[in-house]
Amino acid sequence: MNANVHWLDERRAEAANRFAALGVPHRRIEDWKYSDLKTALDGANDDAAAAWSLGKLPTDVELFDLANAESAPHWVKAHLGSLPQNAMAASSLAHARGGFALRVSRSANAAPLTLEFSGAGSVRALIVLEEGAALTLCETQVCEGFSNLGVEIVIGANAQLTHIRMAPRADGAVQVEEYAVSVARDGVYRAHFFNGGAKLSRAELQIALAGANAQAHLSGVSVLGGTAHADNTTHVTHAVAHTASTQLFKKIAGGRSRAIYQGRITVAQGADKSDSRQTAKALLMGERAEADLKPELEIFADDVKCAHGAAVGDLDANSLFYLRARGIPETEARNMLVRAFLEEAVAEIADETLRATVWQAVEDALPQAMLP
Amino acid sequence: MNRRATLMLEIKNLHVAVDGKEILKGLTLSIAAGQVHAIMGPNGSGKSTLSYVLAGRAGYDVTSGSIAYNGEDLNALKPEERAAKGIFLAMQYPVEIPGVTTLTFLKTALNAQRRARGEKEVDAMTVLKTVRKRAAALKVSEEMLKRALNVGFSGGEKKRLEILQMSLFEPRLAILDETDSGLDIDALKLVAEGVNALRAPERAMLVITHYQRLLDYIVPDRIHVLAKGRIVAEGGKELAHELEAKGYEHIVGKAA
Repeated sequence: MNANVHWLDERRAEAANRFAALGVPHRRIEDWKYSDLKTALDGANDDAAAAWSLGKLPTDVELFDLANAESAPHWVKAHLGSLPQNAMAASSLAHARGGFALRVSRSANAAPLTLEFSGAGSVRALIVLEEGAALTLCETQVCEGFSNLGVEIVIGANAQLTHIRMAPRADGAVQVEEYAVSVARDGVYRAHFFNGGAKLSRAELQIALAGANAQAHLSGVSVLGGTAHADNTTHVTHAVAHTASTQLFKKIAGGRSRAIYQGRITVAQGADKSDSRQTAKALLMGERAEADLKPELEIFADDVKCAHGAAVGDLDANSLFYLRARGIPETEARNMLVRAFLEEAVAEIADETLRATVWQAVEDALPQAMLP
Repeated sequence: MNRRATLMLEIKNLHVAVDGKEILKGLTLSIAAGQVHAIMGPNGSGKSTLSYVLAGRAGYDVTSGSIAYNGEDLNALKPEERAAKGIFLAMQYPVEIPGVTTLTFLKTALNAQRRARGEKEVDAMTVLKTVRKRAAALKVSEEMLKRALNVGFSGGEKKRLEILQMSLFEPRLAILDETDSGLDIDALKLVAEGVNALRAPERAMLVITHYQRLLDYIVPDRIHVLAKGRIVAEGGKELAHELEAKGYEHIVGKAA
């Protein structure tokens, strides 16, 4: 065996052991209560390799293909598999034979980088932003069958990543994504997740705010119809003092679809002056649709500001009557209210072009989602 | 011209139930075009129920009696159809709608009404110009128009925006449900001036209030006193002062 790939074999073996110990998650595991992966997979395996493709690289962004593990540079060795791995992230690390690593240096220009994941199987990605670097990443995931994406994001001091993740509706697909993110001092991670839903779709974010003034700002919309399922699970850890996080997730569920948000915020001992806000709301368009929203706080520090809220409901009857009494027909009034509801979360995207892209996806998905 | 043709609103022996409980118990009332009528009454007399049933709110069930609007059975029409036909309810509690800017809302509503009447829609610029012209008199600022509908508006701002809508939609029958509630005297004068400016021979108004104070500024042609779901007294504008001096108990008691 080539001594140079030994570093990776060791990490894969470790991950394989970890995955073997934990097993495929199922609904009796609290974190997977609303997303029974074991049942959805029904014996399907993840030996295949999902495909990835990147758009034109901005200058001073370095790309490394993980298929060539033997020639991995030091920054890949330093970071790949270094962030905490839950069961499915351990699985993708153990099983993936493909993937990529990106290193963004301070001098990189800010042009957005597109990324697409497709096909079935496991894939790994590592994105490292060096001190002071900035990147806008527009990810689209169009995987089919069973896919398991494991993405590690390392945001250096004073670096900023804006991450848009689009997952259009994919009936029949089982899509699992695990994002592990660490943010160093003065670093900022902004992410927006659009979900059209799948047979089972789970996007999990594990974020560590590891340095003072590190920030994470998460938002997302799920627009679900038919039998679509979409699960946004987040765990933000305020590891040190003076860190901030915000979350705003909005969900529309029609038909027999199921929208899920689980958000845990941990404020570690000593992480005083931490500030976190967390809001998740869902509108149900019919009696058979379901939304499960579960915000959670674990606070081990004294002087912190944490606000959280969650609400599931139908369109507000007062608002609907008000608009109709002004002459706006019921269907149009409902459309207005639903769009206004979602717009608040999409408005978190600062860039106008990106916002328009996400909004178009919302518009495409809405007709199905508005059906009871 | 016969008398019947000039009546804009004709309510006969109206019974309305909410959640199976009868609130209006045989209300009879008519208003002719060009007139301003006031409905006064104590809390719980059915004032707001009357305003909602006229606007067509779901859950307000007409169990017997009739409401004719320009000779047409109102009960058969949806709220949006009533609005397009010229009925406007200035609400006691205007709803906050985050995510819909005030100006967008005004344009959408105006064009929806025009579309329903088979009129040509107006473009955003024309709406903006018309709104600006009318907003100034009501001290509705440009900044308010850009904000989400009623979100973060003070009580007075919300009521002014209701009157601005009335001015923009030019209804034939305007119902003002406790438009004076929560207003200080300056805000009240401003709102009353806005309403008075809209008095016209082809327009009727129904001003619903608990207090005589509003009627010092919007002087009605006729006052009806509502108690326990029925009109118990009627008279000219001087009735307001009698109510103020002697209280509802006096009038309601006399009627019983």
